Amino acid sequence: MPTGLADAGLLLSFLVPLAVVLLALPQFMKYLVRIGRVSKDVHKQTDSRVPEPVGPILVVAAVAGEFVAYAAFGSLVPIAVMGTAAVAFAVGLVDDIYVLGGRVKPLLLLLAAAPLVITEAVQSTVYNPAVTFPILGPTAAHLSIYTILAVAAFPVVANAFNMMDSFNGEISWFTLLTSLSVLAGVTLRTLHTSGLSLARVASTLPLVAVAAGFLVFNRYPSRAFDGDSGALFMGAMFACLAITSGVEVAAIVAIVPAILNSFYTLSSVRGFVERRRMPSRPTSLGADGKIYASTESNAPVTLVRLILLAGPRTEKDLVRDIVMLTAVSCALSFVISVLTWVV
Amino acid sequence: MRLASLFLIELVAFLLILGETYVFFAVVVPLGAVPRSPLDYTGYALLKLGLTFGLGVLWFVLVDSSARLYVKSMLKRRTPTLSS
Repeated sequence: MPTGLADAGLLLSFLVPLAVVLLALPQFMKYLVRIGRVSKDVHKQTDSRVPEPVGPILVVAAVAGEFVAYAAFGSLVPIAVMGTAAVAFAVGLVDDIYVLGGRVKPLLLLLAAAPLVITEAVQSTVYNPAVTFPILGPTAAHLSIYTILAVAAFPVVANAFNMMDSFNGEISWFTLLTSLSVLAGVTLRTLHTSGLSLARVASTLPLVAVAAGFLVFNRYPSRAFDGDSGALFMGAMFACLAITSGVEVAAIVAIVPAILNSFYTLSSVRGFVERRRMPSRPTSLGADGKIYASTESNAPVTLVRLILLAGPRTEKDLVRDIVMLTAVSCALSFVISVLTWVV
Repeated sequence: MRLASLFLIELVAFLLILGETYVFFAVVVPLGAVPRSPLDYTGYALLKLGLTFGLGVLWFVLVDSSARLYVKSMLKRRTPTLSS
């Protein structure tokens, strides 16, 4: 492919979804307010109402970006990512409207892997059924074992993203930083592997663009909430990108804060429990407007509760702490990418 | 530095991923490279599965313990005692 066309493909894969979010989201927010789809911003002392869910616009933007990547490079990778995002979004939208149970949601999210498995069956280069480790190199290829693990990864990662969606700007910052880590990993891989197409880099750009555009509206104080439909599709898209890009280890390291958060929560409440049915809340809002950690012994152990045990924080400062933890894990992820593809 | 302990937990999780990866490649994968009988083959396959599962359990136990220790120490620090 001529360099100019590839550059245009990369640029448009980023600009199109960014423009869709920045231009369409304000209109969609007005529409949601008009039909009464607003949610209380629970960590504010005032009765602040925020339009939710804006996930439909985010997924449209992501799909548009993946379509540009497909048109520019002709690979099925963007189609797999697009399909995965759409299925996870549909599951999330049902959850937004009807509230799915703690066990039903992970099971339905297994379906998000279907587009990936189908496209791999059509074009066997969509993913490489081996994991490449830093310094040690790749494992042997095992299509069946790798595919089973890849399918199982979707509910885990999508739910981990969803559980990082509690405070103003948390999910948008988290998705932006972690998707940049995957972008760095796949870029290093593409630069240091001969004959690898830029399609994988292009298919990563829409998630970066969607997260960056959404951050404008979702940062503190939030003007829009993505809802489960937004968080689940971004998590599933992230998982699909990590698998198709072959940067699984770097991606796992980048989302360590989310993995710890989900693991601690599941471990402390002993299983998949929908957050509205938890025995007690991990945090509470004080009269001073700060968020406090629960000191109850049966309160779920979450990443936020761990942070707040050192002292109460305002929502803005709390999100800054989460961003710091994510930034450190993303820096470690970059080290992994360099050790894997450059050294 | 209020986040120092959490950075440490994060680092422990990261180093465990790297360390266990090395153990997996250096110890688990080469086990029974040349099996002498079908029984050997099955035995080594089960041993490999068990060791891989063990590595996963070890990661969860260590990371979970570090968080529980952190919660306990922070709650103790906040709870007034008779001597305070």
